[in-house]
Amino acid sequence: MRPQLVNRRIRLLLLTLLLAFAALLARAAWIQGVRASSLSQLATSQQHQTVTIPAGRGTIFDRMGVQLALGEQATTVYADPRQIRQPRRVAAVAARILGVDATSLYPRLADRTHGFVYVQRKADPTKASALAKRRLPGLGFYAEERRSYPQHTVAAQVLGFAGVDNHGLDGLELQLDKQLSGRPGRQTIVKDPAGRAIDVVDQVAERQGRDVFLTLDHTIQANAEQVLRSTIAKWHAKAATAIVLDPRTGGVLAMAVQPGYDANGFGRVGADKQKNRAVTDVYEPGSVFKVVTVAGALSEGLVTPQTRFTLPYSLRVADRIVHDAELRGTETMTVAQILERSSNIGAITLAQMLGKDRLLKWIHRFGFGSPTGIDFPGESAGLLPGYWSGSTIGNVPIGQGISVTAVQLASVYAAIANGGVWLQPHLVDHVQGLRPPKRVWRRIVSAAVDRELMAMLRGVVSDAGGTGSAAEIPGYVVAGKTGTAQMPDPRGGYASGKYVASFVGIVPANRPRLVIMVQVEEPHLAIFGGVVAAPAFQQIASSALQYLEIPPDAATPVR
Amino acid sequence: MAVLEYSGSKKAGVRREGLPLADVVRQIDWILLLAVGGVVATGLWAIEGITRHDVAFNAHYYLYRQAVYAGAGAVGLIVAALVDPDLYRRSWRWIFGGTIAAIVLVYLQGQAVRGSKRWVDLGFFKLQPSEFGKLLFVVALAGFIAERGRRVQEANTLLTTIGLAAIPIGLVFLQPDIGTALVYMAALVAVLFVAGTRWTHLALSGAVTLVGIVGILWLLPAVGVHVLKPYQQDRLTGFTHPTSDPAGSTYNINQSIVAVAAGQFHGRGPEGSTQTNLNFLPEHATDFVFASYSEQRGFVGGSLLLGLYLLIVWRGLRIVTVARDLFSAVVAGGIVFALLFQIFVNVGMTMGIAPITGIPLPFVSVGGSSMIANLCAMGVLLAIHARGRGARVSRRR
Repeated sequence: MRPQLVNRRIRLLLLTLLLAFAALLARAAWIQGVRASSLSQLATSQQHQTVTIPAGRGTIFDRMGVQLALGEQATTVYADPRQIRQPRRVAAVAARILGVDATSLYPRLADRTHGFVYVQRKADPTKASALAKRRLPGLGFYAEERRSYPQHTVAAQVLGFAGVDNHGLDGLELQLDKQLSGRPGRQTIVKDPAGRAIDVVDQVAERQGRDVFLTLDHTIQANAEQVLRSTIAKWHAKAATAIVLDPRTGGVLAMAVQPGYDANGFGRVGADKQKNRAVTDVYEPGSVFKVVTVAGALSEGLVTPQTRFTLPYSLRVADRIVHDAELRGTETMTVAQILERSSNIGAITLAQMLGKDRLLKWIHRFGFGSPTGIDFPGESAGLLPGYWSGSTIGNVPIGQGISVTAVQLASVYAAIANGGVWLQPHLVDHVQGLRPPKRVWRRIVSAAVDRELMAMLRGVVSDAGGTGSAAEIPGYVVAGKTGTAQMPDPRGGYASGKYVASFVGIVPANRPRLVIMVQVEEPHLAIFGGVVAAPAFQQIASSALQYLEIPPDAATPVR
Repeated sequence: MAVLEYSGSKKAGVRREGLPLADVVRQIDWILLLAVGGVVATGLWAIEGITRHDVAFNAHYYLYRQAVYAGAGAVGLIVAALVDPDLYRRSWRWIFGGTIAAIVLVYLQGQAVRGSKRWVDLGFFKLQPSEFGKLLFVVALAGFIAERGRRVQEANTLLTTIGLAAIPIGLVFLQPDIGTALVYMAALVAVLFVAGTRWTHLALSGAVTLVGIVGILWLLPAVGVHVLKPYQQDRLTGFTHPTSDPAGSTYNINQSIVAVAAGQFHGRGPEGSTQTNLNFLPEHATDFVFASYSEQRGFVGGSLLLGLYLLIVWRGLRIVTVARDLFSAVVAGGIVFALLFQIFVNVGMTMGIAPITGIPLPFVSVGGSSMIANLCAMGVLLAIHARGRGARVSRRR
């Protein structure tokens, strides 16, 4: 009986033993079988980390290899509020060293519900390292690329800008974002418990963004902007635009819009100042448009430059009376003189000979009403009259009731300078590592008509009665056309006292190298293109000719 | 009232002659010996994989050390198997006094490792007396109980036993080494249980202990009295809610569970076990060796090890029943239950079903004292078996 009692106790111990081992095995099966996959993932996730290696953004160079936009090293300062012991002191120190606002920083540092806040993104690396030396717990630093525009205001509207995440938001930065961005790399690292990387298990190398080379020349560009600023100041104008084209290639040497802004501080100015109005905005061109009417009449064989017309001062077209800009008696003018003196009555007379259909055909042929296809985002097509009334034939030929962009007009004059062959204007010469894009071209007027047009445009500047004599450049033959247009009132009709003065010039006229379009909005004191815009053309052209070392073409050089 | 009676108990204290060597070898419990050999071999295999990346340029550093300890332990096992356990019974006072003296010595001059004084530096070896104490403690208590003879069921005997046990338990607790103190307490329970303490007495003691544990862990801290240091408190209770502080007090248990899980069925092998090799799992060769082993060898390896343990403990319990006298039975019971307790708490701890205590896994965790002491204990078990009932039967034959 007694050994049975012993055995009873031992059996109890045996039961305990079996229960203990059963519990251990069951637990092992549960962890290693049922929960295994989710828990193993925990092991992998705490040991593996995939980090993105940002690809540097490509640099934008001008045609001379000067950097217009580039990536700069910057240091982003962040904080983990949960690890900050003295938020007030940290805020004060960070504010003093980085120059951020302490009063707005402090509450964010004191808010312990977040584990991550930015102190300053893309801070100056030297300031950031000075802050890092203070060894304040809870502050962290990592390197980032910051887009920088070393030329500041120069070509700011053309370049556009890239945002804080290095994505192009406007201008060429937006247009070329794909090429400039490159492709970020990826790296999967194995970490030890302290978070230090000890091995790389997988990596995809980053591809740096491509560099972009523009046709723009920063010297011509900067000078054009300077000229526009002084022109605006001189005439108390609202704004001004200038385009310098190489008629042989269609490349844009300068595209200046004033007033401008510093691209490094794009967040601090309004969207109106950031717009590249030469491409995105339309205006009524006025007399510079007459070249289309004249070219149409010549090409259709209706007239020659010498064909004479007897023209009154004013003319009734349907319900409207049109008159020339300057009061005069009834005169006889040649077609050439019509253009030189910018006679509205003459242009309308030629247009009436062409008729609506043929006039529209020539307007389309010159590219108005459709975008030029310039490599810039947000280009406007311009506006052709949607409804052709009886009086329309009295407006459109002289550049009223029709809206165009500055780049459309400049490209048309560049085509005339280029022997009648229109070349698509472009800002990008080539992208590093990519084939230059195929250039679009088409003949818009015959070579013969083009010679006649060039002769007439030379007369605008050089002849006694020409409106563009202020554009004359000693030593060079200049061809061009003035324009003075009223500005449409948003409420209908035209705004009184608001004009756009413009001048498009070709120089040297015998072997054209530069086509320069200047357009001044709402000048005061004087309104005429020949007075306001032509001198600006003259200044821009003079320095560009000298800078590009273009030989004079005048028969008797003036010393 | 039944008094537990063991074969040979009537002659307790009378037998003098030991068995000749040949008889001991003939009467050996081969299954137990093979199981112990299997566990030690598995342990060395485990340590080989686990510590491969722990010492630069010396992948086998811990393996060789551990193999030397196992060798020393084997010698201890043989010696213990040959010595007649009756010697211990007669000299239980010396053993008890020596154990306490060794623990006190450690407390006075031992080296503190992570805030705990457990080791005595002997120059060539860092001795951890509390590991050997597990065995000596059981032997001494068994000696005392055997001396009381038939009065084991009296409350006086019970209280004196508990009183005696409280001295080493308290000293180890103060080292501080809660884990070993708990092992001593488990051994005490087994000693009392096998000795035949009344159920009512056991239940009463159990209730008092329960009240004590609840008081120390929850009630006293609630009123502001902290018996345990906060980290001890966190370890003992943290396993019930392992995700509460994964970067702090429950970091180890979380990483341990993740390591075990990562092993899945077949294990990730020594090279693929990132939890161990990247040191996410701390103490992966000592306290958390089972987690590392499970990560590397999976459920298969874990079951193999647990199976071998089961074999040892089962044979151990069987030896309790064949022991020739009360003393031997109590010693065997104490050894076996302490072993079971250590295995359960250590393995359970790595899987989140037991509190985190610094209890090493017998025969596997890196450490000389633990290895040698446990092998000596196995030797004592073999000695008891060889001189037990079965042996007498065979001698008559």
